[in-house]
Amino acid sequence: MNRFVIAEPQNCIGCRTCEVACAMAHAAGQDAQPLNPENFKPRLTMVKNATVSTVVLCRHCEDAPCVNACPSGAIVYRNDSVQVLQERCVGCKSCMVACPYGAMQVVSVPAAPTGLLKSRTTRAQALKCDLCDGRAEGPACIGACPTHALHMVDHDQMEATLKKRQQAVLDTANIQL
Amino acid sequence: MKKVISVCPYCGSGCKLNLLVENGKIVGAEGANGVTNQGELCLKGYYGWDFLNDTKLLTPRLKQPMIRRERGGEFEAVSWDEAISYASTRLKEIKAKYGPNAIMHTGSSRGTGNESNYIAQKFARAAIGTNNIDCCARVCHGPSVAGLMATLGNGAMSNSICEIEDTSCILVFGYNAADSHPIVARRILAAKKKGAKIIVCDPRYIETARIADLHLQLKNGSNMALVNAFANVLINEGLYNKEFTENYSEGFEEYKAMVAKYTPEYTAEITGLAPELVREAIRMYAAAPTATILWGMGVTQWGQAVDVVKGLSSLATITGNLARPNVGVGPVRGQNNVQGACDMGALPNTLPGYYDVTDDEARARFAKAWGVPSLPAEKGYSLTEVPHLIHEGKVKAYYIFGEDPLQTEPDLGMMRKEFEKLDLIIVQDIFMTKTAMMADVILPATSWGEHENVFSSADRGFQRCYKAIEAPGDVKDDWEIHSLMATAMGYPMHYNNAQEIWDELRGLCHLYTGATYEKMADLGYIQWPCLTEEDPGTPWLYEGNKFDTKNGKAKLFAAEWRAPLEKVDEAYPLGLCTVREVGHYSCRSMTGNCTALQTLADEPGFVQIHPDDAKKFGIKDQALVWVSSRRGKVITRANHNDRVNAGAVYMTYQWWIGACNELTVDHLDPISKTPEYKYCAVKVEDIADQKWAENYVRETYSKMKADMRKAALS
Repeated sequence: MNRFVIAEPQNCIGCRTCEVACAMAHAAGQDAQPLNPENFKPRLTMVKNATVSTVVLCRHCEDAPCVNACPSGAIVYRNDSVQVLQERCVGCKSCMVACPYGAMQVVSVPAAPTGLLKSRTTRAQALKCDLCDGRAEGPACIGACPTHALHMVDHDQMEATLKKRQQAVLDTANIQL
Repeated sequence: MKKVISVCPYCGSGCKLNLLVENGKIVGAEGANGVTNQGELCLKGYYGWDFLNDTKLLTPRLKQPMIRRERGGEFEAVSWDEAISYASTRLKEIKAKYGPNAIMHTGSSRGTGNESNYIAQKFARAAIGTNNIDCCARVCHGPSVAGLMATLGNGAMSNSICEIEDTSCILVFGYNAADSHPIVARRILAAKKKGAKIIVCDPRYIETARIADLHLQLKNGSNMALVNAFANVLINEGLYNKEFTENYSEGFEEYKAMVAKYTPEYTAEITGLAPELVREAIRMYAAAPTATILWGMGVTQWGQAVDVVKGLSSLATITGNLARPNVGVGPVRGQNNVQGACDMGALPNTLPGYYDVTDDEARARFAKAWGVPSLPAEKGYSLTEVPHLIHEGKVKAYYIFGEDPLQTEPDLGMMRKEFEKLDLIIVQDIFMTKTAMMADVILPATSWGEHENVFSSADRGFQRCYKAIEAPGDVKDDWEIHSLMATAMGYPMHYNNAQEIWDELRGLCHLYTGATYEKMADLGYIQWPCLTEEDPGTPWLYEGNKFDTKNGKAKLFAAEWRAPLEKVDEAYPLGLCTVREVGHYSCRSMTGNCTALQTLADEPGFVQIHPDDAKKFGIKDQALVWVSSRRGKVITRANHNDRVNAGAVYMTYQWWIGACNELTVDHLDPISKTPEYKYCAVKVEDIADQKWAENYVRETYSKMKADMRKAALS
């Protein structure tokens, strides 16, 4: 089963600490001042409506619409998750259209000058939660959330939750209709 | 990499953090296991430190003393000797010509610390000889200090931030914890999980309303009516604690008579609330074995603010929700050290330790310790009275320390006009600000992180910050600058370090005597009163039901409801309320220079408007719009927002382009002199040419930033 990060809306206070933590964890360089409006691209989004505040991000679907939609094989299953191979992304936005959670963003980023004229060029990236792949401490958003509203769900945790809910049925065993 | 213990320089939650330092530069921050934050931080704590690297995103750091010899002229970089000599000579001339009361001072409720506030007020009182010193408590929790001082004898939170999660009922009144204090919001969530009932009184559906048992969406400007109705129900239904009220409070009969007419039926029209909802709410509060009231700017930034604070204090008193753990009254302080600036006497009516300036014994004791024949006995001027006092010719010089009144005070157009009439403006700060741009003398100081100091968190907790890095440029600690100024004025002051100042303070104020630097070392947390070195401090006040009033009894108080000053009408049909935004702090000179926070939210900010009003006035979501009042006109971006009430609009106060204080009204609470930031009449207008508007915002913003950069680097 793929792992994913989920938000508990009842604990979310809409403070956007997770968005900044995400943008920081993914900003190039990791030096003291990595962020600017150009590279500020959190892969999760805090959303609010009249009564709910929560965070939306990639569910790492088992049969992922984005993987199926990508014409260039840039989105792959790896390490119990869905990952984007940015070097293959052509920026066609099929994944954005396909994602039912609105968790995918296709953006243009400056690329290193190439060719004889060394002209400035841009390239596309399909950005979504990568579970902070390669970050020893795990997803940055989970660690930063001051109200512990974000959790990693993996196979074992899902099993434990199912067990707990199935056990809860026992409490209703004496219900008669 | 070295870890240096500090306290977050933003809100009053008092979060301990470690600054991560590499090669003399801060490279990160992590939560430390402080008493209030338990290892957690919000976005400002995690990402609010890189202004120290002088990012110049918004404004440049001040790195050298500067003088402007003529109004409207260029700044000239000078040596410290010259800056101090110039500033002190001009101050001396003004003092000689007009007397000490022609000079106004501010303390600083921000990153500078308690020691420097103590020195700033000592400078005003001993070196200049005036009580004209105030801090931005005036524009935030001044009414809480004044109200609670009168009713309970202590102006601070009665109980601790940690206790919030163990109370069984929280009455949240005009307080948006999620945006103002995320780390306090955690405690409210925790209380809910432990089974507490939550009641929210707020015109907006704030985050806490989402977890509330009851949300009383009262009309803007009806606070006093609702608080009176609460009292009315408590008394009429016999829900109050008769034993506690009789033994430990006074004034019940007058109180009862005053609230008699405020039945929930009578107040329904004023508050817009169904009588049954009001009854249910206060019954819930009264039924709880322990209950806590938390309030914020929604109570204090009104023309009728002190009265409401006293009213809330009386609700806690007559239900016996004081003088024990997990209960109490909680004005949660907004700025990280606004509690501290008040503790240190950066107020026109109290010496350090809250001794009244009219207290002869205290004044004589301070005068002796400070080596002056006497100290002034008459109350000084309030911050918010300054523009009027300039107009009347009573204030001629303004020594502004770590504040930006030309961004944060109401009716900025009027403020600027009056500021121009001052003979001398001295600004002591770390950044070029809108106020510093008008200064005659700029004295650059070290920042939080570059000096050691003690802060007071919102619940009276003293905590130490250690120095993490060296300051850039030719700057000095705030207390040293004031000491140099005092010495040049003929009152020699000299300290070797912050601890010497702290120890002088402890020796003078019985409330703080036991709070030693040693006890506050590392993660140490000492809540005053702390009377002796053995005393661990006081998490909750009034033990033994003994209040800090003269006769030890709590005073009960209610007042007739007064409507807000301005009325909405056809020309200005919406009520503007100014609010906070989680990623920015105060005038934004610090957070606006932090890459992450500035990137998250930048000019021109938003006006939050209910979709029904938006439709009525033809306002598109995310479009740039004009917002205007009888005093000014600004551009901001519309935000259709289902969580705000129709009839009112909301703007955050830190923007330069979308500067809501160009619109607000200079109407003050008669006692605390706090402005009515929460209500003025405005209109919101669509702008047909959005391209022009976007361009206007970009160009105006760029020019303001460029002007500041040019001025600071003269």
